[in-house]
Amino acid sequence: MNTDDINLAYKVRHALNETLDTLPASTVDRLAAARAAALARKKSDSASRAIPGTRQRQRQRRPLFDLEAGFASVFATPWVARTAAIVPLVAMVAGLVGVYQAEHEERVAEMADIDAAVMSDNLPLTAYIDHGFNAYLVQQQQQQPKRTQ
Amino acid sequence: MATDKELNDFLESVERRAFKQAAYAVRKDEAALDIVQDAMIKLAEKYGDKPPAELPMLFQRILQNTILDYFRREKVRNTWVSLFGGLGRRDDDDEEFDILASYEAEEGTTAAESSADQVERAQTLRLIEEEVQKLPARQREAFLMRYWQDMDVAETAEAMGCSEGSVKTHCSRATHALQRALQAKGIKL
Repeated sequence: MNTDDINLAYKVRHALNETLDTLPASTVDRLAAARAAALARKKSDSASRAIPGTRQRQRQRRPLFDLEAGFASVFATPWVARTAAIVPLVAMVAGLVGVYQAEHEERVAEMADIDAAVMSDNLPLTAYIDHGFNAYLVQQQQQQPKRTQ
Repeated sequence: MATDKELNDFLESVERRAFKQAAYAVRKDEAALDIVQDAMIKLAEKYGDKPPAELPMLFQRILQNTILDYFRREKVRNTWVSLFGGLGRRDDDDEEFDILASYEAEEGTTAAESSADQVERAQTLRLIEEEVQKLPARQREAFLMRYWQDMDVAETAEAMGCSEGSVKTHCSRATHALQRALQAKGIKL
């Protein structure tokens, strides 16, 4: 960027700074309130300089299922919240896999039954492949009633 | 580590510019105020123990991420609104959000007030603000961080998550775009 560009940039900056003075009072008040809220939640000095192991002990002392706070306290923990979101997904995938396996086994059993029926039948396997076999069966069925009569 | 007073002074020094910066991006004063508040709280909660020198870069990074989060939420909200829009009465406030839509000053906002002043300087300032708003998002971010927030190239690059070369390119393009736009409107700074 040359000098002219930088000059323009700083003139724009000056103009933008002027607009800051004309902010409505309500906006300024809201910003001050936001700042106060932020300071109230500031990460404390003592927390960052805690003695090693102190947080661990505090965690151990806290019961997992605090009856007073209910489940809310448990789900407020980030890793529990994350896990809670994954659990239904895992359950759904496991369910789908289970349904697929059951369907598959049922199909295999049906095929086995058919195979067993074919193997134990008097007809040779080649009969089922023969295109004229169907016509032969129809002819046989038509002749059977005549014989019985 | 920043003391309470140092953090307070820092936030006080950047809050108005941060508000304007967010307002240029989201074009709604109320949403911009919420974004600045969220960014301030995140900074205090997570980085309140950092040295004061690191606060400007951290705050800018948080502010940019919070603005991006806002756009993501708007996108999701608009998807649902457009999906179920035909089922009920269409609310005018829920119009589809478009970042590239032409800017119109909201009633009672900063921009509207300045235009109502009928003062030439105020009008000029408003036109400059409009042109800054019209810049592409990345160019605007780079320009404002470098020349308004007094951040150097390295800090801006870190806050934007890009290379220093990209920051220089964005700044240069933003400046040229502003120059062309202001000249076209006959504004002399």
